[in-house]
Amino acid sequence: MQISLTPELITTIGGFPITNTFLMTIIISSIIITSSFFLNKKTKESKTKHKPKGLHNILEYIVEALLELVDSITGDRTQSKKFFPYIATIFIFIIMSNWIELIPGLGTIGVNKIHNGETELIPFIRSNSADLNMTLAIALIAVITAQIMGVSALGFKKYSGKFLVNPFKKPYFIGTFVGLLEIISEFAKVVSFSFRLFGNIFAGEVLLTVMLMLVPYFIPLPFLMLEIFVGFIQAMVFSMLTLVFFKMATEAH
Amino acid sequence: MDLLQNLGINGKLLLAQIVNFFVLLWVLKKFAYKPVLEVLEERKDKIEKGLKDAEKSQKKLTEIEEKEKKVLKKARQEAQRIIGKAEEQAKKSGEGIIIESKQKVEKLVSDAKKNIREEKQKMLTEVKAEVIDLVALATDKIVGEKINEGKDKEIIESMVNKQ
Repeated sequence: MQISLTPELITTIGGFPITNTFLMTIIISSIIITSSFFLNKKTKESKTKHKPKGLHNILEYIVEALLELVDSITGDRTQSKKFFPYIATIFIFIIMSNWIELIPGLGTIGVNKIHNGETELIPFIRSNSADLNMTLAIALIAVITAQIMGVSALGFKKYSGKFLVNPFKKPYFIGTFVGLLEIISEFAKVVSFSFRLFGNIFAGEVLLTVMLMLVPYFIPLPFLMLEIFVGFIQAMVFSMLTLVFFKMATEAH
Repeated sequence: MDLLQNLGINGKLLLAQIVNFFVLLWVLKKFAYKPVLEVLEERKDKIEKGLKDAEKSQKKLTEIEEKEKKVLKKARQEAQRIIGKAEEQAKKSGEGIIIESKQKVEKLVSDAKKNIREEKQKMLTEVKAEVIDLVALATDKIVGEKINEGKDKEIIESMVNKQ
């Protein structure tokens, strides 16, 4: 059993590395895209004839519940509509990424490759949340989008006033110092976002793999339950924090 | 750079993940969020309208019920009034009939009484005349001769009338 902090490389296509996490990203994305096409088709149909039912109802309910969640934080429908696509996409993508590690075959199904002179199993299934590339990508998107939201809501001058404070005006150097801290905190957000998600899911994956190797029957069950919970909580935390940062960015001091 | 390498961060993959996220965002926005939110909004409007309509019809119903009650009450009063009037009239006309018949009976009785009296008078006078004749005849027979026809009658008449 080999546990690697970095995602394992499966193959390279035209100089582009295909890692197992990237494979998972592609699979998850295709699932999400297919579902949204399905939802689109069903929604159009429901306008004319059927009542929503089954999977259509579930997908619709997810969208509605997420919108209500965003509403509860922003308290303003127009602002909710602006934030909602980002928050919902982050939530859906991350929760799918987190839960893919629960699929049987984690750490067992894969290809054998020679790595550092040793034959080693490269598993296909590795949650893409256990890949810093993915978590960092979403953290960057979240934080940069928050800046854009802030600028578009307050205007460039007022928004930059949060970070760059004139040391010769009222709270003097304290204000400047606080502004400096704000700048640092923006960068810290990226780090905390990406490492929190990565750490949780990577740890969960290691835990599940180890449990599976130690006692293959029954004992991993509670841990699987735990991972369902952790996966949900982490997706929730990521999207809620993003939402709160959006809200804070659009609010004047 | 070494740290990033150790953590598995790769520029190409990072970029690919970012692009992937934006593709997802675009697809979801276009095919999932927008139509679903539109439908939800529509449904909300529909439900609100339905509730409002229900409230309106309820209000109308109570209004109509009240009106109905009012009309019924009025009708009842009218009926009561008509019945009262009819009763009164009936009473009045009944009394009139009684009085009339009483009067008629009285008239009949008085007429009869008058007739009887007249008849009696007539009979009396007739009887008197007869008596006078008879007495005159008797006296004639007893006395044997007529003293004086005129005188006789006078005397007898005064005697009969004296009684």
